[in-house]
Amino acid sequence: MKISKMFKIQERKIYGFVGYGLVAPYIIYTIIFWVYPFIWGLIISFKKWNIISPEKEFIGISNFLKVIHDPLFWISFKNILFFMIVYVPIVIICSLGVALLLRRIKFLQAFFASGYLMSYVSAGVAYSIVFSLLFSGDGLINNWLSNFGITIPWFSSPKIAMASIAIIVVWKYLGYYSLIFLAGLQSIPSSLYESAEIDGASNWTQFWRITVPLLNPAFTIILIFAVMLSFNIFTEPYMITGGGPLDSTQTFVMQIYHQTFTALHAGYGSSFAIVVAIISFTFVFAIRKTVEREISY
Amino acid sequence: MINKKQSELSSLFITYAFLGFGLIFMVFPYVWMLLASFKIPAEIYNRFLPTQFTLEHYRTLFTLGTTGSTNPFVRSIFNSLVVSSIATISVVFFGAITGYALARLKFPGKTLLNNFILFQMLFPIVLFLIPRFLLMLELGWINTYQGMFSPFMISAWAIFLFTQFFKTIPQELIDAARLDGCSELRVVFKIMLPLSKSVTIIVAIFTFMGMWDEFLWYLIVTKDYNLMPLSVLLGLFTRGEYSSYPGIQTAGATLLTVPILILFFFFRKIFTEGIAMTGLKG
Repeated sequence: MKISKMFKIQERKIYGFVGYGLVAPYIIYTIIFWVYPFIWGLIISFKKWNIISPEKEFIGISNFLKVIHDPLFWISFKNILFFMIVYVPIVIICSLGVALLLRRIKFLQAFFASGYLMSYVSAGVAYSIVFSLLFSGDGLINNWLSNFGITIPWFSSPKIAMASIAIIVVWKYLGYYSLIFLAGLQSIPSSLYESAEIDGASNWTQFWRITVPLLNPAFTIILIFAVMLSFNIFTEPYMITGGGPLDSTQTFVMQIYHQTFTALHAGYGSSFAIVVAIISFTFVFAIRKTVEREISY
Repeated sequence: MINKKQSELSSLFITYAFLGFGLIFMVFPYVWMLLASFKIPAEIYNRFLPTQFTLEHYRTLFTLGTTGSTNPFVRSIFNSLVVSSIATISVVFFGAITGYALARLKFPGKTLLNNFILFQMLFPIVLFLIPRFLLMLELGWINTYQGMFSPFMISAWAIFLFTQFFKTIPQELIDAARLDGCSELRVVFKIMLPLSKSVTIIVAIFTFMGMWDEFLWYLIVTKDYNLMPLSVLLGLFTRGEYSSYPGIQTAGATLLTVPILILFFFFRKIFTEGIAMTGLKG
C-alpha cells in the first residue's frame, strides 16, 4: 500500500515534469509568434509610423478614427457584403443540393464525393488564373455565349465583378461544404424519416421539419466558414482584378496589404486590421446567436 | 409494386444524371487548364480541343530567366517544396507531442492550455500579418526560408485534432510501453502516431496543401525572385511579364495544381473522411 502510494507520487511528479517538457515548445513558440505580435499589433495601432523611420509617435485613437472615415474602408465593406450576399446563398443551396443527391446513392458515392471535392484542392493563384482567362472578354465562356448573341463582362464591369469572384469561390468550396452537409445528413437517424413516412408527411414536409432543423450544426459551421472567408478574401481579387474596375473588388485585406506594404503606414494598417477583426467577430457572434440551436434527436 | 420500383429506378437515374452533370462543371476548369497549357496561343480562347500540341509554354517557363538568374521557376518549385515540407513535419511533430501531453498527461495548468488553444483558433490571420512582418524584419528573416515557414510551424488546429484523437487510445498500450522502458517521446512516436494514421495524414496533407497554396504571407516576406515559392512567383509574373501570355499562365497554373491533385488522388478517401470527421479546417 505504502509502496504503491509512493510510486504513484513519484509517477505523477515524473509525468508532470514530462508534461511541461512536451508542451514547452508550443508555449515558447506561441509567445514569440502569437502573443508578442498580437500585443505589438495593438500597440502600433495607436501610433503613427511608416516602417522605415525610427520615429513612432503616439497618436491615441486617431488611426481608428481615420479608418472609419476612410472611403476605401466603406467601399471594401460594401464589396464584401455584396460578395456575401451572392456567395452565401448560392454556395449553401448548391452544396446542400449536392449533399442531398449524394445521400440518395450508394454505388459510386465515394467517386462523386471526391470528384466534387477536387476543386477544393486548387491553389488560389492557379484557379484565379484559369477563371480570369475562361471569363475574360474574349474567353471561352463569352465565345460560347456569343452564339446566343450575348457576352457578359464578368470581371470588367464594376457592377458584377465582385459577383463573378463570388461565383468562382463557390466553385472552389462547393464540394467541401457538400461533404460537411453530407456528414450532417448521415447523422440523422433514418427512423425519423420512417415514422414521418408512416404519419404521411410529404418529402417537402420531411425536408423542412426534419432535415433542415437537424442540419443546424452543419449550417452554423458553414455560415461561419463562409463569413470568415468573405472577410479574409485576398488572392482572387488581387490576381484577377487588382481591386478594380473602379474599386469594385477592393477588400479589407487588400486595403491592409496596400496601406502597410505599399504605402508603409504600419500603424494605420494595424488599426485597420483590428477594426476588421472586430467586425468579423461581430458577424460570427451574430450567427452563433441567431442560427445556432441545440439539437436532439 | 412494379410501378413503385420503376419510379424509384427513374428517380435514381435522375439523381445520377444531376450528379454527373454537376461534376462536369466541377472538373471542366481543370481539363481546360491542362489542355490550354499545351495549346498554341491562337487556339487557347477559341477552341476547347486543340488541333496541335505544343510544349512551348512549359519550355518558356523553365528556360527564360528574365531576372538575371537562369530560371526562377525551377527554383521556385524547389522553394515551395522545402518550405511546405519543413512546416508539415514541424506541425505534425509538435502537434503530436503537445496533443499527447494535453490528452494523456497530468500537470497543473493543462485545462488553461486546452482552452487557450481553442481561443487561439478564433483569431483571424489578418490581425497578425503586420506585427509578424515586423518581427521578421527584426529577426532579419525577410527573404529567407525561415521567414516563410516560421509563422506556420505549430498549429492550434493540429494540436486540437491530435488531442481529441489521442484521448481514444487505450491506456493499457501506453502503460505497457512505459513498463518496457519507453520514454514519453517514444510513446508518442511508437504508439500514438502509428495508431492515429488517419489523423496524422489529415494534418500532414492539409498543412502541406495550405503551405503550397499560401500566397499573401509569401508575398509579404519575399522580395527576391530566386527565393519565391511557386505560388508567388507565378502570381507576380501573371500580373506582370506574362500578363498577355495565357499559355504560359496556364502552364504555370498546371504546375502549381498537379502536385496537390496527385496527393489528393492518393489520399482521397482520407480527405473525404477527414472533412466529414472534423469540419474544422476553414
